[in-house]
Amino acid sequence: MLSLFLTRLSWIIFINKMTTKKQYAHLHILWMCIFFNFSCSVDKEASPDQAYVFVKPDNFPEPTYTFQNNPVTKDGFELGKKLFFDPTLSRDGSVSCNNCHIQGTAFADSQQHPLSVGVNDQRGIRNAPSLVNLAFMEEFFWDGGVTHLDFVPINAIESDFEMDETLANVVKKLNADPVYLELFNSAFGIDKITSPYLLHALSQFTVMMVSSNSKYDKHMRGEGETLTSEELEGMEIFSSKCGSCHSGELFSDFSFRNNGINDVFSDIGRAGISEFDGDVGKFRVPSLRNVALTSPYMHNAKFNTLEEVLDHYENGVIDSPSLDEELKNGSQLGIPLSEQEKEKVIAFLKTLTDREFISDTRFMNR
Amino acid sequence: MKKLLLALIATIVLFSSCEENGEENPETFGTFQLEFDNVVGSQNMSLSDPGSGDYMYTTDSGEPFNLTLFGYYISKIKLEGPNGELYEDEVNVSANADEVKGYYHVLESNASSRFITLDDVPAGSYNKVTFTVGVEEDGVQEGAAGGVLDPAEGAWFWNWNAGYIGFAMEGGAQNSGQEEVVGDGWTIHEHSFSFHVGGWKDVEPAEGEDQKFVNNVKTVTLDFDSNVSVAENLSPNAHIIVDALKILDGVGVDFSTTYSVHAPKLGQPFAEFIPDTFILDHIHQ
Repeated sequence: MLSLFLTRLSWIIFINKMTTKKQYAHLHILWMCIFFNFSCSVDKEASPDQAYVFVKPDNFPEPTYTFQNNPVTKDGFELGKKLFFDPTLSRDGSVSCNNCHIQGTAFADSQQHPLSVGVNDQRGIRNAPSLVNLAFMEEFFWDGGVTHLDFVPINAIESDFEMDETLANVVKKLNADPVYLELFNSAFGIDKITSPYLLHALSQFTVMMVSSNSKYDKHMRGEGETLTSEELEGMEIFSSKCGSCHSGELFSDFSFRNNGINDVFSDIGRAGISEFDGDVGKFRVPSLRNVALTSPYMHNAKFNTLEEVLDHYENGVIDSPSLDEELKNGSQLGIPLSEQEKEKVIAFLKTLTDREFISDTRFMNR
Repeated sequence: MKKLLLALIATIVLFSSCEENGEENPETFGTFQLEFDNVVGSQNMSLSDPGSGDYMYTTDSGEPFNLTLFGYYISKIKLEGPNGELYEDEVNVSANADEVKGYYHVLESNASSRFITLDDVPAGSYNKVTFTVGVEEDGVQEGAAGGVLDPAEGAWFWNWNAGYIGFAMEGGAQNSGQEEVVGDGWTIHEHSFSFHVGGWKDVEPAEGEDQKFVNNVKTVTLDFDSNVSVAENLSPNAHIIVDALKILDGVGVDFSTTYSVHAPKLGQPFAEFIPDTFILDHIHQ
């Protein structure tokens, strides 16, 4: 109980320390209190390297990740990165997380792999989503079947058309590797690697993938970039015609909807999780951050370009029982959009590209 | 700022309460043991080898079957007494297996797992035990966990609809419609059955919508027939019978059509009978 309390307490200090400078004076008092009482608990966070501190961007919602159970450290992050790029996680050593999640496409898949490609070149059924801003999400995957970031990698590791390995065997392989034993020891102080630490390390790496420095963000935060009049008009059109689903600063309400790309669903989507017939054909509304980089689009990679996506919403929506109400506007299905409006919306969507993020050296395999 | 103040207050409270305990030290403690005794009706439970065609048990409707796996998670154990006595077993989820507290994976195949010993129970009189069968939302949502919750060490975990399987039984039945399936290193035997009861999401349906998701985590309360004393020199034991037939007969299982249950909604009829499955047999004072 005491140690739990201390973990919580140091986390609070940690968060305060990195977010608000004016509290330093108070913090010193608190640090002293704690130092006198439990000098041993302080050392670890004495000077966290700022590059490895999770910072919530001003214009973002509160994170959902349980940092109190798994605070990010440099060693943990670097270990997570090594694991992310290591094909040891797959059965035959051929596939790493990075195979389907590439920094240049904001950790979505490459355009050459519209559907995920796993061991033995097996084809998945869905387009690998971008991994950015996971710290702020409550549900993961196109069907939202996983509700905690830590549990996300297990699906990729154990899926027979992705890594086709077992979590237990990955742990066994890591324990047989002296390099990993040392890295886990310095990150977590453990002598034997177990799966929660493997998952925590991966979460420490992925939770730091915060993309918040697009032209749009800098415009919104008044950091010296201004959207052009075309982009601004696009933003206006976007917010009135797309914003009911792609809402907020992450450009998604993270609900599950049928956006009319099909009327027969071999992949039932959300209904596989909710076990509710009305959810057949519904998939998660994806965040649109870096959307210009994450082609192809939709869970089944149906569209290659943003133009095709907007054409779909304008005149390609297919009716079916679970079609979203937002796409039923009187007699004509879809969203009325002129060609000019589409161009402006696309100009705006391109302002969501975060070049700093895709060239951030912290995430590179070096 | 609020958090900072809270942290300071919490520090003060923590220390003052420690001191009080040190000064007064009014309480003495004892242990209390829960023993889970898995049975099939009037017969002791014994597990068969997977694929065995030897059916030693029979359901109420006359369906012969055997069991190859039987178990459940027990968590959040609470003892209560007639005069307001209350003991709540500490519950904690952690990556560190040694810090995982209050979650127990009881398996028929692991004799020692059937005994849960609660330490540091305040001396007093108790007449009721309450526990949860399964792992609730607050256990799942803490993230990756070690010990009995580590999926790489035998924890019962669903990847695709992330969460723990709270109750499971597997076996063979003469009438099971299961056909043989041979995979890479695994086999599903002909005439086998597998009932995995999981699902923890509690989502209120929206106005006019049907219920989505199923929460199959159940709470069981067992009243003792008399008061039981816990004290330094006493180690009482509650002998709890867990009767597989209560579920199978409760559901009225027809193995020819029901032999593969691996999703919350399919597990719901089974979960409904979980509370009936746990029966207090007797208490050793």
